[in-house]
Amino acid sequence: MKRSRIPLYTTIAVLVFFYLPIFVLIIHSFNASRFSGSWEGFSLRWYIRLFTEREIWYALRNTLIVAFSTTVVSMVLGTIAAFALHRFNTRLQRVHYTLIYTPLVVPDILMGISLLLFFVAIGVQLGLFTIFLAHTSFCVSYVAMVVLARLQDFDFSVIEAAQDLGANWWTIAWRVLLPLLAPGIAAGGLLAFTLSIDDFVITFFVTGPGATTLPIQIYSMIKHGSPPLINALSTILLVVTFLIIWTVQHLTEDERTHENA
Amino acid sequence: MMNPRNKSFGEWLVTLPSFVWLFILFVIPTLIVFTIAFKPADPWGGIGEGWTLDTLISLGNPNYPAIIWRTIWLSLVTTVVCIALALPMGYYIARAPARWRRLLLLLTVIPFWTSFLIRIFAWKVLLHPDGYVKRALVFLRLSEEGTMLLYRSEAVLLVMVYTLLPFAILPIFAAAEKFDFRLVEAARDLGAGKLRAFRQVFIPGIQRGLLTAVLMVLIPALGMYIIPDLVGGPRSEMVGNKIAQRTFVDRNLPHASALSAGLTLAVMAPMLVVLMMQGRRREEHEVR
Amino acid sequence: MAEFLEFNDVSKRYGPIRAADHVSLSIRRGEFFSLLGPSGCGKTTLLRILAGFEYPDTGRVLLDGTDITDQPPNKRKVNTIFQNYALFPHLTVRDNIAFGLRIARRPAAEVREEVDRMLAMTQMEEHAHKKPHQISGGQKQRVAIARALINKPEVLLLDEPLAALDLKLRQRMLFELDRIHDQVGITFLYVTHDQGEAMSLSDRIAVMNNGRIEQLGTPAEIYEAPTSSFVAAFIGDTNFFDGTVSETPEPEYCRLRIDGFPDVLCFNDKNKQAGDLVHLSVRPEKFRLSVVKPNVDGRHNLVPGRVEEVIYLGSQTKFLVRVQDYRLSIAQPHSRFLLDEQPIRWEDNVWVWWHADDGYMLDRYSEKDEALKEMPAE
Repeated sequence: MKRSRIPLYTTIAVLVFFYLPIFVLIIHSFNASRFSGSWEGFSLRWYIRLFTEREIWYALRNTLIVAFSTTVVSMVLGTIAAFALHRFNTRLQRVHYTLIYTPLVVPDILMGISLLLFFVAIGVQLGLFTIFLAHTSFCVSYVAMVVLARLQDFDFSVIEAAQDLGANWWTIAWRVLLPLLAPGIAAGGLLAFTLSIDDFVITFFVTGPGATTLPIQIYSMIKHGSPPLINALSTILLVVTFLIIWTVQHLTEDERTHENA
Repeated sequence: MMNPRNKSFGEWLVTLPSFVWLFILFVIPTLIVFTIAFKPADPWGGIGEGWTLDTLISLGNPNYPAIIWRTIWLSLVTTVVCIALALPMGYYIARAPARWRRLLLLLTVIPFWTSFLIRIFAWKVLLHPDGYVKRALVFLRLSEEGTMLLYRSEAVLLVMVYTLLPFAILPIFAAAEKFDFRLVEAARDLGAGKLRAFRQVFIPGIQRGLLTAVLMVLIPALGMYIIPDLVGGPRSEMVGNKIAQRTFVDRNLPHASALSAGLTLAVMAPMLVVLMMQGRRREEHEVR
Repeated sequence: MAEFLEFNDVSKRYGPIRAADHVSLSIRRGEFFSLLGPSGCGKTTLLRILAGFEYPDTGRVLLDGTDITDQPPNKRKVNTIFQNYALFPHLTVRDNIAFGLRIARRPAAEVREEVDRMLAMTQMEEHAHKKPHQISGGQKQRVAIARALINKPEVLLLDEPLAALDLKLRQRMLFELDRIHDQVGITFLYVTHDQGEAMSLSDRIAVMNNGRIEQLGTPAEIYEAPTSSFVAAFIGDTNFFDGTVSETPEPEYCRLRIDGFPDVLCFNDKNKQAGDLVHLSVRPEKFRLSVVKPNVDGRHNLVPGRVEEVIYLGSQTKFLVRVQDYRLSIAQPHSRFLLDEQPIRWEDNVWVWWHADDGYMLDRYSEKDEALKEMPAE
């Protein structure tokens, strides 16, 4: 049977569409010209300029503080939530599931404005702490979903096996459950970390004076700053992201080839 | 064995942390949005005393219907374009040999992991009056020197498709991967043409993934804010922009709340439709 | 004296399904005991109740005179081989085997020594450092056995341990299990739906159906003297006849009148009287088959028939022979088929005969069990 070529052509077109803007951006970060319209030779001047911008370093520091604390807290809360959702099948868990699921679909501007109003209403000082609270609120859901997916193809007879061999609940949690779920929890944590680093809209609403994160810094640079500098910053961020994805991919691939052996 | 009382205690113990967190930081803030919509604004950018319907009435201002209509229209077109591209692509990835499949999937996921702002900025550079797209169009005589590519609804649409497309491809791919392609062969064997087999066997087979894809594109599109903010102009504002404008520029929080409450109801509508469709399908299964 | 392992009036329901229906059962120390039955008959439920993963609705479980019904699984001196082995995927073979001893906080030197002993017994020494996904199904099986036995359980529970293996490997593991049972001498409780496994390994078998024990006995008793149509049809193939006793010519024999079949003489161990209703089961291999009319004595039944199907099965050939309203399932070993004066073919007219002692009267009969036979009557 001859297959239609439309799917192939669409796939190629979409991939070009995906990567063309990114490539143009990377290439232009090495352009000596201030303007993206003309090529005036290869240069690293924008990268050098970037390292002298103190605001960027400050924003990066803030971003990492928020991202790390968000990751840790949402990993703990999300894992426990996933366990509850998987282990029990009650009305409470149906409500719980809706509560976990809804933040995933609500547009971020709605989360942003509602959290802003909440913080204003209870009189919390806006800043890194409110950003952390906001980020954790949506990251918990992502971690819970990733871990829940992992739990669903988890073979629960190993828990009975551990019990059969004399382990109590505490031992099972530490010696069987946690090591086995570790890849899922780590994947959820990584997702939370990237989402936190990348979030602009919600952060924009709940940030306070001085609490500039990297996306907010980039936003104000796009609005007011010089494009070549953003090109350089974007390229660095893209490379870091590629490296992270590549590492994750590499690690999971190793695991898979072992399984086939 | 756990006895029932211990069991429900254990359940509460593992449910409470996330439950309490999300109740305080998700449910209560959402309720506050609906409450503040009925409050007057005070002149200092805060929230006034008492209750009022003025905010809701002022939404009747002729500016709003146009923005609301544009928001819905742009979101629907974005969704249609994304699904139209994601369907053949998801199908292709699902049928590709395992090695290729992993690579294609990776290529689809990478944009999803990279910064949202950077991807928007990349397009801003391309669509810039001195950018390559503009110059290519002028060179091909498809555009005139004076035409502006940026700051218009078409630019917003293009970038929305660009950023939301992975969200449509992934669920469609996930459903297509589980789909039994021998069913398509069976349909062809029974005399169905290519398109007919695709439409009547493949599409119903991946219905759940398709619905998820629609939601994953439509809902963020309805609430979109930075894309019109960065590549759109005054004539391509969406509801999200108005919410931000009322919050940051006019500092009229009740007004922002009223708009947000409306948007919340608007995004719940497609969700409920999908949930109902899935619920009905489940019932059908049970009858069988 | 109390038996070693006792189920006393044990019941368990899942909604409307009775997985165990007031089961009482005694198992002797050191015995290889099988629970045999189709899926859903409740055999796994009994095993899980004994392991402690399920709590019975009624009844008690006693091990060596102690009531263990309320003990949690980690406190019971029983260990389980799970159907899919349930090896810990994140631990090596060695660490899997050592798990139980480490939980019990035994000294490291002792753990090492015991694990080495187990690795030797299961011939897994060279795979000790591997993870479960790097070894084959048969090897996983051995690790699961070693991991359970190292705790020196009083009873080893095996839940369909061979189901995931292919035929050849299954046969090898059967011998292996037999050897290990002889070597360690503890009680084995084996759950399976495969009659071949149960027959070849067990000292005694309990055949289960709908949460109840249909029959309990040695493999030979169960095969040769089934008490119900379920057991007769589930264990091997059989032919059912129902008729009424017309006369009792000798004290130990009776003659049956069967609708649509010639009169049949059968062994009367149930002391049936004229007019009683009887259900008879005759195994396919008990029949003899020949084109030439044989000379047989008065204790044999001899009937004429016509061959409707000949099915070659390798080790034997199966014939379906029409005798009036009945279609008999008859198995003949091959040596006979090859050496016989004349091979039997499709549509041949043949003589079928069997000794009256080879028919067996059933205590209970259910129409439903006809469906369990390998070949339908029509």
